[in-house]
Amino acid sequence: MSGLPMRGGPPKPFVDQEVRGKGVDDVSGINKKKLQDWFWAYLMIFPTLAGTIIFSIWPLLQSFYLSFTEWGAFGFYEWGGTVNFERMLGDSVLWQSLRNTLVFTVGSVPFGIALSIIVAVLLNTKIRGMSTYRTLYFLPVVTMPVAVAMVWRWLYNADFGLINHILRSVGITGPRWLTDPKYAMLSLIVVSVWSSIGYNMVIFLSGLQGISKQYYESADIDGANAFVKFFRITLPLLTPTIFFVTVTSLISSFQVFELIFTMIGINSPVIRHTQSIVFYFYRQAFVNMDKGYAAAISLVLFVVILGVTIVQFRLQKRWVHYE
Amino acid sequence: MNKTGRLVVHLILIAGALLMVGPFIWMILTSFMSLGESTRVPPVIIPSELRWQNYLRVFTSFPFLRFYWNTFSTTVAKVVGQVFFCSMAAYAFARIRFPGRDFLFLLILSVLMVPSQAYIIPRYLLMADLGWLNTLTALTVPGLFSSFGTFLLRQFFLSLPTELEEAATLDGCNHFQIYYKIFAPLAKSGMIALAIFVALWSWNDLMWPLIVNSSPLKMPLSAGLSTLQGQYGTDFPLLMAGSLMAIAPMILMFIILQNQFVEGIALTGSKG
Amino acid sequence: MKRFRVVLLLALVAALGLSALAQAQVTLSYRFWDINQAPAMEAIARAFEEKNPGVKVEIEVIPWGQYWTNLETAATGRNLPDIFWLNAPNFELYAGNGMLLPIDDRLAKSDLISIDDYPAALAAIYNHRGKQYGIPKDMDTIGLWYNTELFDAAGIAYPDENWTWDDLVAAAKALTDEANQVWGIAAELNLQSGFGNTVHQAGGYIINEDRTKTGIAEPEGIAGLKFWTDLIHVHKVSPSMAQMTDTEPVSLFESGRVAMYFTGSWNAIRFANNEYTKDRVDVAVLPKGKERAVIIHGLSNVIAANTKHPEEAWKFVEFLGSREAMEIQAKTGTVIPAYMALQDSWVTSIPQFNLKAFMDQLDYAVPYPASVRAGHWQQLLVDCLIPAWSGEISIEDAARDAEAQIQEVLASEKR
Repeated sequence: MSGLPMRGGPPKPFVDQEVRGKGVDDVSGINKKKLQDWFWAYLMIFPTLAGTIIFSIWPLLQSFYLSFTEWGAFGFYEWGGTVNFERMLGDSVLWQSLRNTLVFTVGSVPFGIALSIIVAVLLNTKIRGMSTYRTLYFLPVVTMPVAVAMVWRWLYNADFGLINHILRSVGITGPRWLTDPKYAMLSLIVVSVWSSIGYNMVIFLSGLQGISKQYYESADIDGANAFVKFFRITLPLLTPTIFFVTVTSLISSFQVFELIFTMIGINSPVIRHTQSIVFYFYRQAFVNMDKGYAAAISLVLFVVILGVTIVQFRLQKRWVHYE
Repeated sequence: MNKTGRLVVHLILIAGALLMVGPFIWMILTSFMSLGESTRVPPVIIPSELRWQNYLRVFTSFPFLRFYWNTFSTTVAKVVGQVFFCSMAAYAFARIRFPGRDFLFLLILSVLMVPSQAYIIPRYLLMADLGWLNTLTALTVPGLFSSFGTFLLRQFFLSLPTELEEAATLDGCNHFQIYYKIFAPLAKSGMIALAIFVALWSWNDLMWPLIVNSSPLKMPLSAGLSTLQGQYGTDFPLLMAGSLMAIAPMILMFIILQNQFVEGIALTGSKG
Repeated sequence: MKRFRVVLLLALVAALGLSALAQAQVTLSYRFWDINQAPAMEAIARAFEEKNPGVKVEIEVIPWGQYWTNLETAATGRNLPDIFWLNAPNFELYAGNGMLLPIDDRLAKSDLISIDDYPAALAAIYNHRGKQYGIPKDMDTIGLWYNTELFDAAGIAYPDENWTWDDLVAAAKALTDEANQVWGIAAELNLQSGFGNTVHQAGGYIINEDRTKTGIAEPEGIAGLKFWTDLIHVHKVSPSMAQMTDTEPVSLFESGRVAMYFTGSWNAIRFANNEYTKDRVDVAVLPKGKERAVIIHGLSNVIAANTKHPEEAWKFVEFLGSREAMEIQAKTGTVIPAYMALQDSWVTSIPQFNLKAFMDQLDYAVPYPASVRAGHWQQLLVDCLIPAWSGEISIEDAARDAEAQIQEVLASEKR
């Protein structure tokens, strides 16, 4: 499940738009108009509020409870105390999947961001065919992850895949991309970068278009070349956008699942070297049917994501320039 | 920029574009190959004929039309539901003052911080209790509400001028009428952006349908494709034909609504 | 404005319209994993519908790799299909937890079938604490499939009933042609069709009869496992584990890249329908190790305990066990039917294959290991063996890992 894009900053303060109408001058405080306003307000937020509580907030609280239970077959469970959390400490596979997730994130997020900035900057030079390029780069974003994983599994196939065919034609014997522990993670990272460039590029493009031309004009007067302009003007002024994209990319790459589910699979010899924490969660919850333990894992994921996001916001002051 | 500069930029962009589009082209080519052609060394690049039977096989070996219908109907319902419910709530949060407003808004917003895995198990158990497993209801109803959509549209409503509702209030309109007659039409671009996001997520989501709907007859395309792969692990012509058919509607929608897609995404990146 | 109203209306229609359409007739769901058997199952379902107007059977195929996850998720949500396939390792888990409908009373009253129509050993698998839950569907043993074209090209005699492990290794060496990526055999990591057989042939066992101990790390057990890992790492006559993950062994066999392959009688129909294999492969009995052995197994059709239509579901299961349905399974070559009187008609159903080899092994067949949580420990066993198959650790270490984990599960079963 792809993570919801997060906002790139703390929510703006509320702007009160209270309507002054008939009866507002009533001195009794709570008047008919106000009651009517409240009635309509509660009515209008009711579906979303109820839906959010029933399908997200209440289940989240239940997850806390479930993480203290031990599961038998078919949904029979009992209170288990801290047994799941104790088990976590000794579960080397869990820690490895956490490490895999970190490697995946560190490998894919910076590359994805760097490449999409480059593409965005090139597209922003007002060259011809800009919208055609944009369309092509964006295609992977609208493609179902399962289908993306499927075509890459085919491209990577060591015996009949296109990539090794091409390598063979220049005399290189390609590796087993998806089943050799040395290459499997790299292969996943490549696909992840490939499918995220378009999305980030569009955000960067709009960020670039928000940069005032005056900066560049005065740099031109100083005789700055393109590189100087990029590093002195473009990049610093793009940092708020970079910050936003970093936060959202980190969150979604911490939740990688479909790629591993479709490209590697549970019985692959490299699954231990590649499974992410969400994949391990899925495996415990729905393959090993240990939903108590899985709930505990999901809370760890929650804490990790929360922690990383908080750190991001803390570090933000050091490198993000707001005009 | 001078001529050489432009040329270099074009070359880089074309090379990049090839890498981005290459897999799709290979997908199309493979979908017309015979199984033998797909596993030949040296490789066959252009299939000897257009084997439409690969596409036909997808339909005969799996209830693919059902997958389509399941994905399509749940996606439409989720888009309509979210746009309606989120915009309504967003209006109330943005333009009406009422007790508990800030608290309730933060409550809804807090869900954005939580990875979906953290509530997916109890949500699945809830579906089981409601008797919704293996129904399109299970795929649809939890997706009718969204913190993200409420937040996005609230930002929109906040930016509109106050005079708008003043005239309407004088006409004796209640808040629902003001929202419905004046504000909703003005937030069209925001609603389209939300609709696009919802459609994309709904169309592509895998884990939730995998969990709640175990019957192939109730699976959406994503889960259906995954069973297709489980069954025909290395029959890539068949798998590519199935994948292409699964992604085509979204790609078509993207090509038609391109500008709205791009604006929508830019919007989420800047409205913060 | 109007448009917005239309959208609103559509919302209502969509929300309401999505709730299930009312259905006048009874619809039964029948779930299984083997797509190769779908045509026969489809034919049986249609024959049943003809006899029972108002009852519709919907066939649901979930591939093997996802079947048990899918089924357990459904069972946890009390949402099992009405009728489905179950195998021995998973039966006790479902029966023991009240997920299945006992059928003794209905079976006793049936005019169509009797429990005596099926081999007693097979029927007994699906009896839990004196109650019958499943009607046997089929029977299977494992055979040594081989590619006659590759054997002819290498000038080697085909496998026969006198073959031993050594003959197999020698032939595999002669058949392997690394330059052309052709391998003598596929050393698939598989309990039922692979190492389960060789462990018994080496004189070992997977678990003992009172289900308290695994023999996987005993010297015989290790010998049975080592047979396979040696084929990969010592004799180098099999594709690597990585390669067999990229392309399934059965596909390698079907494309002439692998000359020999251990697999069950259920794949005969698959090979008969495949353009390449239909007249290039044949089958023989498994080679002899220290002794002869083959794993025998049979599936059964079971009914979910909480089905909304127990009467109709039973009628369908009864029909599936009847002579008429079994005949469809046998004549189409789909599987060896559990109906004893019809087993010979399967043997002749695909004349180009020596299907008799599967029946010839019945004398020394051993049952597919089962226990309350066999599905669980079998997954653990495979997980432990993967690193040995890919050559990262020794087979002895892997077997000891597996032993420890299986013992833990077996102990938990007794609690």
